[in-house]
Amino acid sequence: MADFNPSTIQVAKVVDARGSACPGPLLEAKKAIGTVKKGEIIEVLSGDPSTKVDIPKWATKVGHEFLGAIAAEGYDRIFVTRRK
Amino acid sequence: MTGRMWIFCGSDEPQKAFPPFMLGSGALALDMEVNMFFTMNGLNIVKKGGAEKIKLPGAPKTLPEFIGIMREGGARMIACSAAFPIVGCKQEDLIAGVECGGVATFVSGAEEADVVLTFC
Repeated sequence: MADFNPSTIQVAKVVDARGSACPGPLLEAKKAIGTVKKGEIIEVLSGDPSTKVDIPKWATKVGHEFLGAIAAEGYDRIFVTRRK
Repeated sequence: MTGRMWIFCGSDEPQKAFPPFMLGSGALALDMEVNMFFTMNGLNIVKKGGAEKIKLPGAPKTLPEFIGIMREGGARMIACSAAFPIVGCKQEDLIAGVECGGVATFVSGAEEADVVLTFC
């Protein structure tokens, strides 16, 4: 996801799940995606190294769109568009 | 729903009592149907006041919180009545929302399931 640039998108909701271990961030993402409209984007902040692997799998399975993930200092920023 | 999971919860040891909920809540997030079957010492998880006593430092949530997530997500929680006399448990000792089932409940559920996990 090297070509993913978050400055080109508009995030509707940021979920700060840093400090929560797996599956906390995934559960937070699931909750958050229900609070935005279809087509809107959530950003999940997670310090758990598995989240950037798990969120794309979750998104694919349930029908949302994983946009990409970028590393910040000590955590990851993960972006998903609600599609259903 | 995109798949059916049955989880055999046979222990109240924290490192065996928490993974069913960690994986089960994840499965709910992935839109799976989740069924949890509590038997033997696993029944202590769904006894009134039982989950509060089972603690796992470092886990993302407490066991009562996980039980709440499973309930909210529509998971079925089934207590194995075959183990009631073995661990000294009665139906009225169980927390709300837990139904009773027997061997056939688990076996028939497991036969139809896409995923079966056992923790004992």
